[in-house]
Parts: sequence; structure tokens; C-alpha cells
Amino acid sequence: MELAIFYAFAALVIGSALLVVSLKNTARSLFLFFIVLFGMAGLFIFALADFVAITQIMVYVGGVLILMIFAFMLSNKELLADLQNTSSKFLSIPNWQSLLLSIGFLAVMSYGIIEWHDNFPQWITENIRQGNIIKSSDNNINQLGIKFMTQYLLPFEVISIFLLAALIGAAHLSRKEDPK
Amino acid sequence: MISLTHFLFVSACLFCIGLYAIIAKRNSIMILIGIEFIINAAILNLVAFGRYDKINYSGQIFALFAIVLAAAAVAVGLAIILNVYRKYKTINPENITDLRD
Amino acid sequence: MSDLLNISPIIGSMLVVLLPFLAFLIQAILGKRSQSGNIALVSIILSTIFSLIFVFAEVWKQEPISANVSWFTIGTHTFTLGILLNNLTVLMQLIVCIIALPVHIYSKSYMKGDPGIHRYWMYLSLFCFAMLGLTISSNLLMMYIFWELVGFASYLLIGFWFTKESAVQANKKAFIINRIGDLGFLLGIASVYSMYGSLNLVELFGKDGLFYSLPASSDGWLTFTGICFFIGAMAKSAQFPLHVWLPDAMEGPTAVSSLIHAATMVAAGVFLLSTVFPLFNQTVLLTIAIIGCITALISAYFAISQTDIKKILAFSTISQLGFMVVAVGVGAWDAAMFHLATHAFFKCLLFLSAGAIIHEMAHLKEANKLDIDPQDINNMGGLKKWMPKTFILMSIASLALAGFPLTSGFLSKDAILISAFEWAAQLNGLYFLIPITLTLVSILTAFYIGRLIFKVFFGELKIKVERIHLHEANLSMLGPMIFLGICSIFLVFSWNPIAYHHSFILTGFSITYPFAEIHSLHIILPIILTISSAIAWVIGWNWYVKGKYPLNSGNKLLDISMNQGYINEFYNKIFVKSTLNLSKGLYWFDQNIVDGFVNFLATIVRNLAHFSAWIDRYIVDGLVNTIAGTAYYIGHLLRWVQNGRLQNYLGFAFTVVLIGIIYLIIK
Repeated sequence: MELAIFYAFAALVIGSALLVVSLKNTARSLFLFFIVLFGMAGLFIFALADFVAITQIMVYVGGVLILMIFAFMLSNKELLADLQNTSSKFLSIPNWQSLLLSIGFLAVMSYGIIEWHDNFPQWITENIRQGNIIKSSDNNINQLGIKFMTQYLLPFEVISIFLLAALIGAAHLSRKEDPK
Repeated sequence: MISLTHFLFVSACLFCIGLYAIIAKRNSIMILIGIEFIINAAILNLVAFGRYDKINYSGQIFALFAIVLAAAAVAVGLAIILNVYRKYKTINPENITDLRD
Repeated sequence: MSDLLNISPIIGSMLVVLLPFLAFLIQAILGKRSQSGNIALVSIILSTIFSLIFVFAEVWKQEPISANVSWFTIGTHTFTLGILLNNLTVLMQLIVCIIALPVHIYSKSYMKGDPGIHRYWMYLSLFCFAMLGLTISSNLLMMYIFWELVGFASYLLIGFWFTKESAVQANKKAFIINRIGDLGFLLGIASVYSMYGSLNLVELFGKDGLFYSLPASSDGWLTFTGICFFIGAMAKSAQFPLHVWLPDAMEGPTAVSSLIHAATMVAAGVFLLSTVFPLFNQTVLLTIAIIGCITALISAYFAISQTDIKKILAFSTISQLGFMVVAVGVGAWDAAMFHLATHAFFKCLLFLSAGAIIHEMAHLKEANKLDIDPQDINNMGGLKKWMPKTFILMSIASLALAGFPLTSGFLSKDAILISAFEWAAQLNGLYFLIPITLTLVSILTAFYIGRLIFKVFFGELKIKVERIHLHEANLSMLGPMIFLGICSIFLVFSWNPIAYHHSFILTGFSITYPFAEIHSLHIILPIILTISSAIAWVIGWNWYVKGKYPLNSGNKLLDISMNQGYINEFYNKIFVKSTLNLSKGLYWFDQNIVDGFVNFLATIVRNLAHFSAWIDRYIVDGLVNTIAGTAYYIGHLLRWVQNGRLQNYLGFAFTVVLIGIIYLIIK
């Protein structure tokens, strides 16, 4: 049951992603991207990372996607034309070189995964043997808060400053040039 | 309990799709989407591996960091795209060839 | 004054030679500014005076005088420049001077108005210098030099009217034929030098010269040398078969013909034979006699039917030269010199008279605008009426030529004929052919000169014109002619009009003949000759004056005579044509074989060059260009990579990563 749902989510993510890259219409792609991100959040939950999944939805769906839609609308004067262009061709003709490259990468990665199989690294096997693995019953949020404020305080602060700087920079870049 | 291999495979698929988007798409926004795909693939891997590290929670914490970085990257990237659009009146990277020799 | 006049014969003779040379130089420098000819005239007058007073009078019948200065040294032997004065040379020099003087005076009016007259005087002076130098040269080399100079001056004067094609041809012919003789002379000189080691005439032929003290190396060698010298004389003195140039040489001015081609230069051959006479052995002498005889006969024969007045005289000159040569051949070279002297005067006179006639005929032609040849005797006739003095003078000269008593010619010709008969009597047999032929020639001579006189002076003028203003030549022409006419009379040479033995020239030489004297001949022969000459004249009178010409124009013998025995044509065919053909052949050879070979080589080289150019362009350059092109193409390929598209860059990067991973996996 659990596996079936995982597969469903995985299929949703991969199918939506494929549609995102193959559709000619950018607007549609953006909405399909939204679905992909949701699917990803679902997959995070399967990995027992409920806080990450929530954050994913919050940040991506609430922030990144909106930003993208804004950017798309600002940059594409032909939005309406694009929206109407439901296109005789549902799928874009793939660029064969990049397709080949991607498939090649996929093949290599798949090969690596299959070869690797379940030969876990030593720290994983050690943790499994000692029972130090996250269980679905664990309170992740509590643990994360403690870790952020203790062990990972410095990276947390650095990333906060970084985020601030990035946002300010983005705002600065996006503003209109002074006429003078 | 879902095995690690499943996650890795989904991640690999997503990575490859992102890669394709980056290289093949003729739209800067789509390229940005491709980058997001790749980052998401990475986050999925972090989360999947982080399951086996209860003491440090490093997987989930770095996944959160990555999400934040991705958000920042998107913000800056979109700002850049807007500027490029203003300058070149297009967001098709095919037409922006200033780096050409 | 007496010091001034006290000039030694050597200095005198040098002056005689150098004065005309000085005149030549002055006239050459002055060029067109000296037209009068006074310089040449003064120089020849002075030369004549010096020659007569200081040279001839001093040396004649005296011991020979010679003076030499060393000229250059080859090895141990020194060649000299020098003057030899003996009876022979001073006589020759005097004759040249005395003939040259009237010719100069005559030329002054004869050549008046000619556009090239300055050249004429210059050439004439050059000729006088060369001829006088020739006469008194003391060695053979020097003589040879003057010999060549004489030939050169003659060449210039024959071609004096060089715009006339025939004159150019004539002087070329004269020059080429003289070259043959000059070659013979040079060979003779070389031969003498190789035998005796000296060219000095005194050393060779003097009283106890090398020629008598050293025995000759071989008879054949001596014969060869003699023949060589004779060939030299043959060309100069127009002996058969090298006589062909002389009739053509009449293209020159008549005064020149009289001086050079009648009196002096052509006699140089006889003079040379006399000078080197001791050298000749019996074989050579016989050859000389035969050749002279043939020459005398055929030229007399040719003279009979010629119509050009100057050509008749030219053949007569050749004939008389033949006489002289026979005289040398029989050993009577004193008689040859005697005849040379007398002949010089009367032949010169004949030419000058002919010149006067031609002059008048040319005036007539111009006045009436006729298209006639002024030298053709067929157009003349009855000139006695208008030119009586010329007629008388020419008649005297003609009588002298025919050997009529009381003339100088009678004496000299008899001397030769009688000597020849005596010589033949000594040897008997076939040798009598020579004197008999000479007798025949004498009669022929009388006949053709009679024909000339009759056709020119008697009868009626053949050309019909309304106004005939023919007149006597003016005094400056007539004067010299009168002077020469006087010289053609016996008194100048001998007080005795009958016996030639008393003539001063023969007594001066006083050589002894190798044959006995036959007294009866001295009486019989002159009588026979005179009577036969008279008969010949009577026939000629009947034929040409009375108009009873018995022969039709198609007569074969006359035809041959008219065409000068076809000798010219023969030479033309044999020598000129073959030379031309040889030249053509050589030209063809040069053009096609030599040039062809060169051109062939050039073509090969050119093709080779083309080939190497092709190799250079397509192989060498091609290689370089291919490398360069490949590099360029690769660069272009890589350049395409750098196309400024970020996605492409990324694609490449990922491709490389992929390839790297695959490599790691496979490894």
C-alpha cells in the first residue's frame, strides 16, 4: 500500500516533469511545475521528512512559483498569444543532442544505482545496527529546532544573512533604472 | 519502508529531466525551472539519506538549507532574467550570444 | 738656298711619299671645305719635282741606296721600315708621279661640280701616297702594307659614286678578287721569310744577298713561293683568270680609271714581279709567260666587240699587261718595265681622251634630254669635226698602242716581242706558240683600237639631234692630254725611233738575257707588225667607216667576245652561287639545327620549369596549404564551439563529464 502510493507520487512527479519540459506553452509548464513540486513534497514525506515537505510547499509553491509567474508575465508580451497557442503540436520536438545527453546521464546513473544496489556505506549500516535511524514516530520538528539552535547555529545564521543579501540583491536588480 | 534505491532512481530521473530542460529549452524561465528540478532531485537525495542519521539530522537540515538557497537563487535568477529581457527584449538564450568569440 | 736644294735622295724620296699623305690628312680634316683640290695638286707637283730632281736624277744608273730604321722585333729578328732606291724603284716612282700629275690637273675640270669632290681629292691623295710608298719600299712586308693600301684606295675610288648599284657591285668585286691575290702575296712573304729569315729586298736580292749565298731548300718550295707571288701580281695586274674585276672597275671616274686602272696600280703587279724576279725558277717563269699570253689573247679578243669605250680600253689594258707579264716570263723584265713606262703614258692619254669624249657626250645627252649611254661608241661618230685636237691626241695614243713606228709603243712592244722570239728560238718547239700568239695579239690590238677610232671620230654622229654643240675640252683637260701625247712619242724614251736597245730605260737596267740575240728579227718583225697593222686598219676602215660590215650580229665568236667569254657568268655560277648556296645551307643549318637544338633545349627547360612550377604550386604549396587549411578548418570547427550560447557550453561540459564517467565505468 505504502509502495503503491510512493509509485503514484513518483509517477506524478516524473510525468509532470516530462510534460513541463516538453510543452511549448510556458504558462502550462509553470502550472505543471507546481504539480511537480507538490509531488516532490509528497515524496519527502515518504522519506520521513515532514518538515522539509512543508517547507517545500511553503517556499516553492508560495514563493518561487509566484515569482516565476510574475517573471514570466513581465517578460512575455505575447502571453495571451502564448496562452491561446494551445498548439497543434502538443509536445515540442525534442532537441536530439540534449535528449541524447540526458538519456545518457540517466543510463549512467541507473547503471550506478543498480550496481550499487544496497551496499550501504559504513555509517549507514552502523546506524542501522545501532537503531539510529529516523522512525515515523519521531518528532522531527522538535529535533530540527534543537539542532538548528545548537549544532547548526553558524550555518543557519550564515544562510539567513545570505538569503537577506540575495533578496536585497534581487530587489535591486529588478528595480527600474533611474531615468537620469 | 521505501528502500533507498527507489528514491535514488526518482531523483536520477528528475535530474535528467532538469538537465534536458537546461540544455534544450529556448526560454530562460524554463532553464530556471530545470535548475529547480535538479535542486529538487538533490534535496530528495539528501532527505532520503538523512533518514539514516538520526543523531545529527544533517540530511533534513541541509535539505532545508538547499531549499533556502534555491529560493535565493530563483529570486536572483529571475531578477537577472528581467534585466536581460529589458536589455535584449528577449529571454531566449539562443539570441544572447555576447560571449561569442 | 743651295742648302735647301741639297736634299739627299733618301730624304727626297721620303718627301715624295709623305707629301701626298700630308695632303690626304689635311683634306680629310678639312672635309667638305676643301673642294678645289689645290692641296692635292700642290702636293703632287712637289712630289713630281722632288722625284725628278732629287731622286731620279741622283740615283739613276748609280749604285742602289737604301736606308732602314728598325720597326719592331719578333723574337730575335727585327723588322725594319726602309727605303730602297735603285734603278727600278726610282723609275717606277717617277712614272707614278709623272702620270699622277696630269691626271690631277685633268681632274680639276673633269670632276668640277661633283657633290663628292672633296672625297675624290682625298682618295686620290691617299692613292698617290700608297702607290709611291709601294714603289720605294725596301722590304716585302712594308710593300705588302702599301699594296693593301693601294687596293683600298682603288676600292674607294671605284665605288666613288656609291649610290650607283653597279659601282658598288664593281668595287666589291674588285676588292674580293684582290683579296685572293693579296693572300697569295702574303703566302709568298711567309714562304720567303721561312726560307731566308729576312724580308729585306737588299738582303735577299742584293749583290751578295741571302738568295744567292743560301741554297734554296727545295725546288718545289721555291716554285710554290714564286707561284704565290705571281698570284699576288695576277690579281693586281688583272691577269687571267683574275682579270674580271678590271672591266667592272671602269665604274669609277674616268680620271681614276686612267691613273689607277690603266697606268699605275695595275702595273704594280708587273713591278712586283720585276722586284722579286730572281726568285722565279724556270717552272714559274714558264707559268708566268703562259698566263700572260692567255691574258693578252683573250682580252684582245674580248676588246674587239665591246661597245663601251671604257671597257674597250680596259681590255686593252689587260692585254698590254699580259704583254708585260710575258716579258717577265721570258726573263726580259727590263722590257716589261719599259713597256710599263710607255704604256702608262699612252694608255693614260687614251683614257683621258675617252674621258673628254664621254664628258661631251654626257653634255649632249643632258642638253637634249636623251636616254643614251654616253660611253657607248655606237652612239658616237664623226666627232673629228668638233674635237680635232682630241682626235689627234687619241690617234697618237692609238698608234702607240698598236706599236706603230715613231711612237714609244713601237719600241717597247718590239722589245717584248723580239725578246719572246729570241727566248722561243732558244728553247724551240712549242715555245714558239707564245711569241706567235703575241704577234697575233698585236694585230688584234691594232684592229680593235682602229675600230674604236673609226667608230668614234669618223662617219656621222649616230644620234640624231637638232642642236649639236660638241666642242673641244677646255685647256686644263687638254693640257695634260697634250703633255701625255708628247710623252707617247719615241723621243722621250730614245733618240733612235727604230732600235729599242738605245732607249734610256733599257740601257739603265742593262741586264743580260739568258738567250742569244737574233739580229734579223729586229728588222723583220717590226716590218711585219707594221704592215699587218696597216692591213688591219684598212679592213677596219672598210668595215666601220665605209659601212661594209660583213658579219651579222648573231655571230657566235662575236657573242662570246661581247660577253667577255662568259667568264663572269661562269664565276657567278661556280663561286658566287655556290657560296650563296653554302651560306643558305649554313643559314639553314644554323636556323634549324643549331638554333633548333638550342630552342629544343630551351623548350625542355621551359617545360621542366613549368613542371617544377606545377610541383611547387600543387605539391609543395599544396602540402603547406593543406596543413594550413586543415588547421584553419579545425580552428573553424572549434570556433563554432565558442558560439556564445551558454546552453551549448553547458551541453559540452556535461558531455565531457558523461564521457568521463563512462570511461571510468568501462575501465
